[in-house]
Amino acid sequence: MNAQIRQTAANEWEIPRGFVPGMRVPGRFFLSKNLAETLEDGALTQLANVATLPGIIRCSLGMPDIHWGYGFPIGGVGAFDAETGVISPGGVGFDINCGVRMITTPLHVSDIPDMPGLIEDLFTAVPTGVGSKSPCRLSQQDLTGMLENGAKHAVMMGYGTERDILRCEENGAMDGAQPEHVSKKARQRGIPQCGTLGSGNHFLEIQTVDKIEDQETADLFGVTEGQICVMIHCGSRGLGHQVCTDHLQILEQAVHTYGIELPDRQLACAPLSSPEGEAYFGAMAASANYAWANRQIITHIVRELFVKKFRIEYEEMPLVYDVAHNVAKWEEHDVNGVRQNVCVHRKGATRAFGPGRRELPHEFQGCGQPVIIPGSMGTPSYLLAGTKGAMEKTFGSTCHGSGRVQSRSSAKKSQTGEEVARALLAQGIVVRAPNQAAIAEEAPEVYKSSSEVVRTVHDAGISRIIARLRPLGVIKG
Amino acid sequence: MVFEELEHTADIRMRITAPDLSSLFAESGFALARTLYGDYPRETPAVSFSLQADGKDPEELIVNFLSELLFLTETEYLVPQKFTLTVGPSVSGTVQGVLFDRQKHAGGTGVKGISYSGLSLTKTETGYELIIIFDI
Repeated sequence: MNAQIRQTAANEWEIPRGFVPGMRVPGRFFLSKNLAETLEDGALTQLANVATLPGIIRCSLGMPDIHWGYGFPIGGVGAFDAETGVISPGGVGFDINCGVRMITTPLHVSDIPDMPGLIEDLFTAVPTGVGSKSPCRLSQQDLTGMLENGAKHAVMMGYGTERDILRCEENGAMDGAQPEHVSKKARQRGIPQCGTLGSGNHFLEIQTVDKIEDQETADLFGVTEGQICVMIHCGSRGLGHQVCTDHLQILEQAVHTYGIELPDRQLACAPLSSPEGEAYFGAMAASANYAWANRQIITHIVRELFVKKFRIEYEEMPLVYDVAHNVAKWEEHDVNGVRQNVCVHRKGATRAFGPGRRELPHEFQGCGQPVIIPGSMGTPSYLLAGTKGAMEKTFGSTCHGSGRVQSRSSAKKSQTGEEVARALLAQGIVVRAPNQAAIAEEAPEVYKSSSEVVRTVHDAGISRIIARLRPLGVIKG
Repeated sequence: MVFEELEHTADIRMRITAPDLSSLFAESGFALARTLYGDYPRETPAVSFSLQADGKDPEELIVNFLSELLFLTETEYLVPQKFTLTVGPSVSGTVQGVLFDRQKHAGGTGVKGISYSGLSLTKTETGYELIIIFDI
């Protein structure tokens, strides 16, 4: 670990002010001793860079899946003051509301004798990878409906149930969406990609609940041991990417207009109260809503296939929860003992609201919200719950996944996709992707151990482990 | 090959070299296309699109140019085969190519955006060098 970094608790570290010039607050991050060895200098610098942004409150935060990204590090969290703070697409990312959701089924492992067949059927049904086209014929009106009302609009179109909406963060639609700030180009990309999985680390996975650590909360989440679940990880597709690209251009200019000094051009930002900042927020919220609609449509496709294939009811596959990974949101938090409305950026981080937050459905008021943490292809995923500790330490945030440790290029050099797929099959995990390179790039070894990352957030008290899920079949985008 | 992939944990980081700016822009276009489609075959172009981008400095110009190209690949299902570009304070020209075919072009991964992080465009003794990150 860099000599300037100070350990402040078992899994907690601090980057002092002065690590990079202009830091207004320190940086803090959560890593176990083992994970500390994986930390790149690039990620440390990025975490420190975030601390230079105007109006940042308390500290710039890194979750244990922190790694080198652009602008904010992946796993980065920052809360900004409503009057003096800024909003930055570099704290959200190109893939606005990239997120993950999980549905349960009444099935068990023995009910799926042909996993390769199921994965192949899903791969055919859910458009996946570069060049894939939407299964829906979306009108401009429907697109606007999705930008305004997110998952609600998708449900209104017949893709899901009313109950699904209640089980999405923000009820599947952020307030403050302004479709008028979503460009024609972004809309052009959004129409043919709605209901597609995308590529890279996006996936659809069949899992089984193999260990429950907190039975009482698992019951509230509706999860039982041995049950088959489906996890879906994707975002706002080309629409969100274009919104980020468009508004970066505008905010590049705003940086000069408002005289903001930046250590990294990808941190381009504008005051939250400025017209440029408000326009980005409105467009980002609309893109986040599109992402919720997108995941809702994919969920519908999966449910329809399960209904046909396994003769179960659509309603027997409820949504446990849907969380956003890449987003900036207005939330109330205690700042120096005063309740304040602040803008929390989460870039590769998950909201982990603890008990008693009014944003949560009533059934989660006592236990905190479900937090879904996907593992890599061969490693377990976890269901956690938000905590009071997260409210106190991380503006109600926790990790979002395992975090990469190895580059894609070196991953491809060390193993072929065929070798990775064979090794996974030997462990009972079926993998399907549009090409073999996609499998090699996402080999389990290129990620930190999901179990170690999750254990770190559990021990740090910023979430609680509820259940572990073992992968059985994966579609990689 | 005039572009090579450099180490980067999460994304695709490329070094691209060329004797002049027009070729640098064309080669960076191919670097983006190879990321999207893998090592795809060269073919006689069947479609052509005009391409135009502005920027207040060379870095912004290349980011905007590649963002425009990315837009075309996604909305027109374009796989680039040939660039004819004029690069000055702005860039304009045409990109010719073929339409996406899953049999030939499914070897890559989607690019979410062209990043300013770690971006450098420098003049060297033999021409120009660009280091750029594609967010995937």
